[in-house]
Amino acid sequence: MRLEKCWFCSSTIYPGHGIQFVRNDCTVFKFCRSKCHKNFKMKRNPRKVRWTKKYRELHNKDLARDTVFEFERKRQRPERYDRNLVENTLKAMKKIDEIRVTRREKFWLNRMKVKKSKEKKEDLKELEQGIDLVKAPLAFQEDSTLTIPKAKKMKVVITKPEEERRQMEE
Amino acid sequence: MVQYNFKKITMVPSGKDFVDIILSRTQRQTPTVVHKGYAISRLRQFYMRKVKYTQQNFYEKLSAIIDEFPRLDDIHPFYGDLLHVLYNKDHYKLALGQINTARNLISKISKDYIRLLKYGDSLYRCKTLKVAALGRMCTVVKKISPSLAYLEQIRQHMARLPSIDPNTRTILICGYPNVGKSSFINKITRADVDVQPYAFTTKSLFVGHTDYKYLRYQVIDTPGILDRPLEERNIIEMCSITALAHLRAAVLFFLDVSGSCGYSIAQQAALFHSIKSLFLNKPLLVVCNKIDLQPLESLSEEDRKLVMEMKDEASKTLNGGDDPELANGVLLSMSTLTEDGVIAVKNAACERLLNQRVEMKLKSKKINDCLNRFHVAMPKPRDGKERPPSIPQAVLEAKAAQANVEREKRKLEKDLENENGGAGVYSASLKKNYILPNDEWKEDLMPEIFEGHNVTDFVDPDILQRLQELEREEGLRMEGENEENDEMDEERELSLEEREALAEIRKKKSLLIQEHRIKKSTAESRSVIPRKFNKDKAFTSERMGRDLSRLGLDPSAAINRARSRSVSQRGRKRERSLAIEDEGEGMDIDQPNKKLRMRSRSRSQSRGPPGELVPGEGFKDSAQKTKAVKLAKKAAKKRNKDARRGEADRVILNMKPKHLFSGKRSIGKTDRR
Repeated sequence: MRLEKCWFCSSTIYPGHGIQFVRNDCTVFKFCRSKCHKNFKMKRNPRKVRWTKKYRELHNKDLARDTVFEFERKRQRPERYDRNLVENTLKAMKKIDEIRVTRREKFWLNRMKVKKSKEKKEDLKELEQGIDLVKAPLAFQEDSTLTIPKAKKMKVVITKPEEERRQMEE
Repeated sequence: MVQYNFKKITMVPSGKDFVDIILSRTQRQTPTVVHKGYAISRLRQFYMRKVKYTQQNFYEKLSAIIDEFPRLDDIHPFYGDLLHVLYNKDHYKLALGQINTARNLISKISKDYIRLLKYGDSLYRCKTLKVAALGRMCTVVKKISPSLAYLEQIRQHMARLPSIDPNTRTILICGYPNVGKSSFINKITRADVDVQPYAFTTKSLFVGHTDYKYLRYQVIDTPGILDRPLEERNIIEMCSITALAHLRAAVLFFLDVSGSCGYSIAQQAALFHSIKSLFLNKPLLVVCNKIDLQPLESLSEEDRKLVMEMKDEASKTLNGGDDPELANGVLLSMSTLTEDGVIAVKNAACERLLNQRVEMKLKSKKINDCLNRFHVAMPKPRDGKERPPSIPQAVLEAKAAQANVEREKRKLEKDLENENGGAGVYSASLKKNYILPNDEWKEDLMPEIFEGHNVTDFVDPDILQRLQELEREEGLRMEGENEENDEMDEERELSLEEREALAEIRKKKSLLIQEHRIKKSTAESRSVIPRKFNKDKAFTSERMGRDLSRLGLDPSAAINRARSRSVSQRGRKRERSLAIEDEGEGMDIDQPNKKLRMRSRSRSQSRGPPGELVPGEGFKDSAQKTKAVKLAKKAAKKRNKDARRGEADRVILNMKPKHLFSGKRSIGKTDRR
């Protein structure tokens, strides 16, 4: 029993899934699902299809070459069974897994960091430019903090000059 | 020389069939449709094609016949003579010649008619020419139908001739009818020739094959020969004569010493002497058959003398002089019934033939090419000491021990299975013989898959060491990252206030954009209404006040100004306080409020009744003015109904309404759109 890798999208193929295709020159292609199989039949190059692992590694979206990956290697000659060795291997596999996951996340964060700094700069600029939409310059003069003025219940002072004057007269 | 295979000659059809085949093929393979309206060249071509096609087919088929039937001069003289004997060379050649002439005639006919067709001027004429051409060709073929039938018969017979190779080792059996030739061939080969008590049971040549000293020999059984002059012989006898004449074979002359064939030894001897000319250069054996009925010793004197004469003749054909031992080998006796001496005869015949052939080969020049390639090396013995193969003692002992062990019989897996319940119950432990560092691990189940990975991909003797290195690397990397993070925090983060402000700004912006988009999309179809009739009440002073206060400004000043500049106030004269003072004396002080109320509730600037003449407008009288006003309103009404902004608004919203430019009409035509 072996977990294979899909030729197209590089995901693992569990037993009971997928299709294998053998070409006349004896090369075997394994596919995890019909989506990959159909893409292959359409002669699409996985390196150009955005959602595949090959594309992502080629275009530096995902961690590609790292010492962690060298632990997993298809071995041609089987080793003679040794219980201790297998025990150690299993323990090691767990640790390697953890390390791989952390490294992968780190890679992603690094990738996203660039955007973050750009975003921050843009935010500052927008804030500077657009504050006029929200707080009138006059209000800014009075209160130079960035607190947004609240809408006040309006009290209209009606000037009744005639009435007042008339009353004054009388 | 062309290789002929008598069995592979294609069937010769009869005359009628031949015509049918060719004509139906012409009809199928050439175009069939033609009309009299076609161009004349096309008509001519059509019919010429048919004529040509028919001629070609005839030619091909007849040529095939002529080529496939063998030329009697080209084949081995044995076959040539045999065919002549069976079918008569002249008739055969005549038949083939007729076919040839027919072929040529057909070619000529077709040429003539094609030439005529070139000048055919109508469909009917071309058609008649074609009919005539095909008709003539078919008559030619019909005329040769007897030849075709004859050739077909010959072909069938030829295919059944025995496949005799004239060049290989052959043994020929001849003699009077009923002497036991067919029984002999049945005994030594797998041939199954008819054996019957009447004469001339065997009517043609039969071939069998037998082996001697790892070589294959053909044995040919011939029909019996009677003692007659050559001219009087019938076809069956001629077959055997031909075989005798042309095949380089060992000849076994069969003699029936008992006379049960119906012919005496004298007659048989006479036959022998009459055909002995055919025995030249062939190893001859005289075989006395049926000795179970009449043993050789109890023959009469004359018979014995005759037999001895034959033997002498035969020994003349011996190669290697008069060796008395070999001379005895010329006369053999056997009985096919009791199978006594049959093998001896066969062996003798084969041996004689082989020796003769070898001698011939040695004498010929060809052997010299091969001879220098043969060399049999025999080491000369040094001394008389015997030197057997030497086997080391250990091997002999091991062999003996092995023999002992095998006698003990080790316990097989099968026995184990049978002990533990049989085939369905017991399942053998495949892991029993594993070679492992620790035998306790034999029954271990190793996991193949763990957490989405294959365990065997990770198995490595120094995995722990590598893991340690990896962890060290990881530790270093983490430290490096922490330092980086400390450096990174220098960059400014937005405070809560700033973030709120930013959110507000973005909200405001998006609202503006949305509004603008809505306005833009409906711009053409939207009518411009005055702001005071705006349903959303977006241009009231309350709204203005609210918006301004939201921006942080005090709206009261703006609202007041708006109020004072509004239409209801426009045109109102300035308050004259002095005038009021003048009038105030005459006013009743008792009712001050009423007047004030009246004044304050005075109407906004009104226009007065519609027809009232206002000087400066240019109307004659109020009737004219009312009419003018009415006319203006009437015109405006239509425009308002069309939602046009004014006289100059000539906008057509939909230049090409779909209902006018597409669709069928339920009645009427749609030529004009």
